[in-house]
Amino acid sequence: MSLPLHITDLSVVAGARTLLRVPSLSLPAGSLIGVRGPSGAGKSTLLYALSGLLAVKGTVRWGETDLAQLSAERRTAFRATHMGLIFQDYQLFEELSPRANACLAALFLKPGDRAQIEARAADWLDRLGVAQGSRSVASFSGGERQRVAVSRALATDPAILLADEPTASLDRPAADRLIEDLVALVRGSGKTLIAVSHDLHLLDRLDRVLTIQDGQLTDDTPVSAA
Amino acid sequence: MTDLWETLSALAQDMLIAAALLLPLLGLGFVLLRGFRPLPLVWALLWRFRWANLMFVVLIAVSTGMGIGLITQERGLRVGSAQAAEKFDLVVAAPGSELTLMLASVFLQPSAVPLLDGAAYDRIASHPRVEIAAPIAFGDSFDGAPVVGTIAEFVTYLTDDQIEGRLFARTGEAVVGAAIDLQLGDHFAPAHGEGEEAEHDAHDEFEIEVVGRMARSGSPWDHAILIPVETVWEVHGLANGHPFEDGDKIGPPFDPALFPGTPAVIVRATDMSGAYALRSALTEAGETMAFFPGTVLASLYRVMGDVRQAMQIMSIVTQALVAVSVLLGLFILSRLFQRQLAMLRALGAPRRFVMAVVWGYGATLMAAGTALGLLFGFGAAAVLSRIVTLRTDILVSASITWAEINLALGFLAVTSILSLIPVLVVLTRPVVQGLRQ
Repeated sequence: MSLPLHITDLSVVAGARTLLRVPSLSLPAGSLIGVRGPSGAGKSTLLYALSGLLAVKGTVRWGETDLAQLSAERRTAFRATHMGLIFQDYQLFEELSPRANACLAALFLKPGDRAQIEARAADWLDRLGVAQGSRSVASFSGGERQRVAVSRALATDPAILLADEPTASLDRPAADRLIEDLVALVRGSGKTLIAVSHDLHLLDRLDRVLTIQDGQLTDDTPVSAA
Repeated sequence: MTDLWETLSALAQDMLIAAALLLPLLGLGFVLLRGFRPLPLVWALLWRFRWANLMFVVLIAVSTGMGIGLITQERGLRVGSAQAAEKFDLVVAAPGSELTLMLASVFLQPSAVPLLDGAAYDRIASHPRVEIAAPIAFGDSFDGAPVVGTIAEFVTYLTDDQIEGRLFARTGEAVVGAAIDLQLGDHFAPAHGEGEEAEHDAHDEFEIEVVGRMARSGSPWDHAILIPVETVWEVHGLANGHPFEDGDKIGPPFDPALFPGTPAVIVRATDMSGAYALRSALTEAGETMAFFPGTVLASLYRVMGDVRQAMQIMSIVTQALVAVSVLLGLFILSRLFQRQLAMLRALGAPRRFVMAVVWGYGATLMAAGTALGLLFGFGAAAVLSRIVTLRTDILVSASITWAEINLALGFLAVTSILSLIPVLVVLTRPVVQGLRQ
């Protein structure tokens, strides 16, 4: 499934302070989008708003679903089936094997989906070159862990991938390998990737880069023109 | 409803109570876990904080086990002492403390008590409703074991005729308790007195031969040496209850004029109503005091019942304190893994799944601690029973009953519900705040 994004009059408010305001933004399904900006500008807030982790005003419409109109539990259910999240510090269960981490969604999604999730997780781990032994991920390098996290994000076959600084904790070679893998896996798959990052190596491989400053979308540039 | 309950057997009632106590745990488990597979994450949390978790489990186990151990021990002592006294229908002695007399005559605890004379014994023995009137003469010992003078008929009654060898048939013969380290055919000389004050060479000139061994009874009499009461009198230089012309005769009837006295007489009545009639008859005159050891024990148990209640309250308070400290620990630990719980929510896990993980983690700790506590309690009770049995010769057997199981299940039921509190607190924290932690 491919889901385009349409944002209208999006604002995220904390008390009297407006953390983020995006009057209008449309992203076609299958786009690879980067989000950059100084620390504290509102990049992660945008990602959380797009994922439904924050209650927002305005419209955040993925396909036909407006997250702003959904309850927290409905937004959670939408995330579970349509989104894959990748975090800067991997957020794995260190005690579990790579496969158990990658299959995490199988623990709480419908029993009927479990076999598919497990098969896809194993497939992504293979394609990303992660050894699938029973060894826990505690002994894995940063690059290996992030590839497990990517496999976890892709295991539910989501239409949307949201990544928050996916290469920030990796050294350059590991970061470059992850970028290669991630872009190769997503491009042409119909999935939309939105990655918050300072990493120019990553941003240069995407279709468009949005710039956020002081909670405002100040720039929206195709990468070829950047 | 009450009538229906009363028609159920005790086992059925206990099992229903246990099921009712398990219901909150099973109900919560079903509601929270249904359709999910949280066990890998529960295991991950258990492993991550394994030392803290182990400490929680040990804390719960020790508090549960101590409570159970003390309660089972108290019950074991009560049952053991009652069983030890069941052969002693009625004790007759000179007026005094019933408790002291009972401890001395039934449980063979050394005590100086006034003697009943021959006339008093004759009145007891000749009563038409008396089947056996056995004088019990204690005060001497051998190798720490009390040497008790009595009559052969009483030994037969006490052992249900379960004697290896034979009964004593003349003075200078003995039947030993099952725990006495003397063999048939061995000879010994009793010491005068008991315990540290015993004079070991006071009766050296008297040699007593072991001719029989009683079967084990689980009472202090397993550690006693029974000899003809005439022997006790003779070694103390007293008349032996019989005229000279009776020769070596032992046992009743005794000549009241030649009866040196006995601290107590154990009486077996012809029937139950006879026992009550005898108690009245032998107490009314004021010269003697008759009592049922069972009644004295029951009074003692009433006092012990208060102690038991106090122990139960202390045990519950201890368990409550431990439960509170474990729940506080869960609060602290839940803050440590708040970030990963937030991550689960971010990945799309429903609230109920996160609740299932945290509750499963807490409930596993509680259940493991409770189960270990039952084992620990049983072990502690077994060790304590052995110690008490060795020290008192009262056979105290530790057994965990439904009462203890239900006490433990009650603890588990309450704590499994309380484990929801840290879960709910975790869920009130915003996911984004958790991710940014």
